[in-house]
Amino acid sequence: MSTITAKTSHDDVHAPEIPYATQLRSNRLGLWLFLFSELFLFGALFTTRFVLWGNTRPPLSQEIGLLATVILLFSSFFMYRSETAIAYGDQPKFLNNALLAALMGAIFFVMVVVMEWNVFRLSGELFGIELFGHLKPGDGVYGGVFYAMTGMHALHVLSGIVFILIIWWNGRRGAFTPERHWGVEAIAIYWHYVDVVWVFFYPALYLMGKVV
Amino acid sequence: MNDKKAAAYRLGLITLIILAVLTAVEFGVAIYLESLVLLFIIALVKAAVIIQNFMHIARLWQEESH
Repeated sequence: MSTITAKTSHDDVHAPEIPYATQLRSNRLGLWLFLFSELFLFGALFTTRFVLWGNTRPPLSQEIGLLATVILLFSSFFMYRSETAIAYGDQPKFLNNALLAALMGAIFFVMVVVMEWNVFRLSGELFGIELFGHLKPGDGVYGGVFYAMTGMHALHVLSGIVFILIIWWNGRRGAFTPERHWGVEAIAIYWHYVDVVWVFFYPALYLMGKVV
Repeated sequence: MNDKKAAAYRLGLITLIILAVLTAVEFGVAIYLESLVLLFIIALVKAAVIIQNFMHIARLWQEESH
């Protein structure tokens, strides 16, 4: 056992250092392969919607769906600005935009969980617009598919918010430079990916098919 | 450097505007045309714009570092 430990540390000492550019290329490829693997998960959910719902859809609030989509879009925009800012060494702009992206993501998450899922069983209207959804997970194929799709997406939004807050916290301590900020780039790509998934989920859930 | 920086921020804003317009078009198509194919095509275009401009997919085959 001790021999193995000794050999490992010996190899570590003499291991050739991999150039940062090479590391970066490997990291990027790895991240994109991971995102490609996630495509099967979201693709399966997307396909399920068409198999089980066909050319129909449940009665969902168009206003909540559209507003949530716009908010996620702005969140992606702020994340882009955050990554651009650190790439050009603008630390305050990087931090502010990362925080805005996380905030917008949190608003999207609350809109899905509190308003669309209506976990607190609230009711109310604003300018004639119903603020809270009625669809329950047990409402047949409509409830099942809707909660599976929005639930899996919301889980990714939540993890994305946590990741953004981690890079924000590390960024405050000066962990990223214009030359080295792979952490920021990776989280930005992940966050935009969550937006891409919603680009397909939004019309599939809210816009395609006739209301039952 | 400053030109590049300004161009990068401008690209973000242009992408946001394109995506906002396409979302509005998408909403209109759903209400007035109810075309499933058209909605799917719009979603594909939106995804392509995000992948190209926000996710920088081209960096995958570029020789560069930060």
